[in-house]
Amino acid sequence: MFSQASHNSRLRPVGPVAGSTEVIARISELIADLRPDNVELLAALHRIQHEFGYVPREAVPLLAGKFETTPAIIFGTIDFYSEVRTEPPAETTVEWCSGPACLLKGSLNIRRALEAVLECQMNRTSANGRFGLRLVQCDGTCQLAPLVRHEGRYLGPLTVSEAIGWARELRREMGNGKGEMRETPAEKEVVGQMSEAGDEAKEAGE
Amino acid sequence: MTLTTYQELRAKADEVWAAVEKPERTLIRVGVATCSRVVGAEETLEALRREVQARGLDADVMVTGCLGLCYAEPLVELMRADGVGVLYQRVTADKVPALVEEAIAGDGIAREMALAAVGDGGFSGLPALGSLEFMRGQVRRLMANCGVTDPGNIDHYIARGGYEGLAKALRMKPDDVVKQVEDSRLWGRGGAAFSTGLKWEFLRGARRKPKYMICNADEGDPGSFVNRNLMESDPHLLVEGMIIGGWATDADKGYIYIRDEYPLPVARMEAAVQQAREKGLLGNGILGSNFSFELEVVRGAGSYVCGDETGLLSSLEDRRGMPKIKPPFPAQAGVFAMPSNINNVESYTNVPLIMRHSVQWWAAMGSEKHKGTKMFSLSGQVQRVGILEVPLGTPTSEVVMRMGGGPPPGRRLKGIQPGGPLSGVIPASDVEIPLEPDPYRERGVLMGSGGLVILDDSNCIVDLCIYFEWFAEDESCGRCTTCFAGTRRMLEILRRISSGRGRLADLELIKLLGRIAQNANCFHGQGAPTAVMSMFRFFEDELLEHVERKRCPAKVCRGLVRYEVLHQSELLPAAEAICPTQAVVRDNGSYRIDQVKCVKCDACREQAPYAIGVVDEFGPA
Repeated sequence: MFSQASHNSRLRPVGPVAGSTEVIARISELIADLRPDNVELLAALHRIQHEFGYVPREAVPLLAGKFETTPAIIFGTIDFYSEVRTEPPAETTVEWCSGPACLLKGSLNIRRALEAVLECQMNRTSANGRFGLRLVQCDGTCQLAPLVRHEGRYLGPLTVSEAIGWARELRREMGNGKGEMRETPAEKEVVGQMSEAGDEAKEAGE
Repeated sequence: MTLTTYQELRAKADEVWAAVEKPERTLIRVGVATCSRVVGAEETLEALRREVQARGLDADVMVTGCLGLCYAEPLVELMRADGVGVLYQRVTADKVPALVEEAIAGDGIAREMALAAVGDGGFSGLPALGSLEFMRGQVRRLMANCGVTDPGNIDHYIARGGYEGLAKALRMKPDDVVKQVEDSRLWGRGGAAFSTGLKWEFLRGARRKPKYMICNADEGDPGSFVNRNLMESDPHLLVEGMIIGGWATDADKGYIYIRDEYPLPVARMEAAVQQAREKGLLGNGILGSNFSFELEVVRGAGSYVCGDETGLLSSLEDRRGMPKIKPPFPAQAGVFAMPSNINNVESYTNVPLIMRHSVQWWAAMGSEKHKGTKMFSLSGQVQRVGILEVPLGTPTSEVVMRMGGGPPPGRRLKGIQPGGPLSGVIPASDVEIPLEPDPYRERGVLMGSGGLVILDDSNCIVDLCIYFEWFAEDESCGRCTTCFAGTRRMLEILRRISSGRGRLADLELIKLLGRIAQNANCFHGQGAPTAVMSMFRFFEDELLEHVERKRCPAKVCRGLVRYEVLHQSELLPAAEAICPTQAVVRDNGSYRIDQVKCVKCDACREQAPYAIGVVDEFGPA
């Protein structure tokens, strides 16, 4: 009386998959041992993201074939989970904790400062593709609040000044010591955008 | 598969554990868990191993879980063969040589790092661990092994009484096991507080097979991290609880669904499941019985509503983790439309204790109505951030003010946000209420799953509510208009208020949205306005100040304040240098803030605390 999960129209693979043949071959290899209705789509997404740093679009029809469902269902699933990304990550990504302990200790100030220094809005990549800022959820390391994470390293508790100093240092390192932080016109531009955004609708990084 | 009896397992485990309990040479225990890893516990561990080897010292180095004293991590415990044990705090790798020099090679105590004496009494001026403010009053049952055993060693768990509850349960009729859980009056620790025994009875009564036992370890409430600690410090307690649940309800398979943000618990649970399988505690014919059960760890991918039980089911079914419409209830048609039972980590982990000891023993702790202990995590404006376990019914103030130490010196407690973003906030005046569901519910608030986030007078309630509403909106699955659109409208109104464009009519609109939200399908939508409603109830003055006088008393809401140079100072050049947007400008030798450029990040005030001030944007400066 209760049908199997209603989306399972049990489709066979959709025609030839468009995209890079290498990527297609690698993804097919990664998901070869998985099967439908065995709680394995999440595992498939993790494997693919681990390999590529994101889930390439080629994965969608391949997963649909593997899990005997439609590409729309697969894309809907990918889109649903915030830790599954569909864009290649920036050269380096700064993760900003959005949790309440960090918030109460002034994390929004740090966010504003990082956005200005890295010239990058939350959940975006900077125009030069170097820096990404990513909003992450609380993982309970609240003794370090307010904190940011960078390539597995946790920085906290941070004052705004420390965060700015660190981010400028990061820019210098990434810019091979050319002191790029002095390029004020670009920074100005970002500030303009931010004040326009005004009501913080961009707060969510949508 | 060899048939092993519990006695055989225990005998072997006792041998392994003896080396830890009564070490013949110095034993060094390093707590490695998520909270300590981020402050360098792994580097400390490595440094200790190197140092011990380089000096050729007679000592063993062992990994353990987390004691719960997050504020003092990385923690290292030194136990000498003569039984003298000292717990050292904040032992980063650079302090290891000094520690080894003084405490092991020199046979003394490294005073400046020593936190407490391990054991019953204090000695040579060190307080006993149990007498620390953070530890005194705790009843550590679920956490008995946390920071004591090696979470990667099943023998440690077995030697400390682990899997004894399972062995007992397997000798009982499944119905009696269910009855015993029901008799204990254990209720779901995930927040809903529904009877665990009754849930199990529903699944037991379901006839279709296979049946599933599912653990909700998607601890998504920001500010709650009790399940994380339990899974990474004592993973076998959960494995045992789920096997007992499987036996009691005739289930075939279990899934442990852990959130993506918890990589270490995923790794440790997977290792624990593997070890249990190797010992014959999972698989076919568990402990020589005819019962078969399998467990699998599933890693989520970052979605809060997957912590809703039916959202979790959808997620397991290889699709968007959208909560389903009930009925059918999970016990009728859960994952893959088969009978399923879903419990929180802490609910399952209580069961082995009930089976191992007895209902009477278990229910001796707690209040009249609510039995047992509960773990809580403290964070926010509290001096001692950490995880602790107290009997249900303990006054909130005991935990927050005494054990946690309350807000930093000079600040006043403003409120406490228990549970998660959907739970609401209680004011400081209610800090005496007992930690159990009823007093919180009377105040329109939920005690939730164990998070306690503390607010002090530097925090703004409107700002916090914006965060909760943003979170609810961001994590809405998109099914119900009352939720995905309702939270968005609510967020817009709150942001309007915090930017100085609030009007009195907005207050009625918020209340209306709060009522409408009750029509959402799942608790995510229904709970979304809880925090805002508790703001109306307990912090109305502050809210009205924002709306009527366009003032933020805590000077947090960005649209209601601006930064100004109050007087010239020699610190202002530093403020100019730190400003990320060149908003601190010098005209004719004197400094001022360019309000167009200023992003209000507070960095300049950190540099020049008295020269730069935050003033109200509207009204008299």
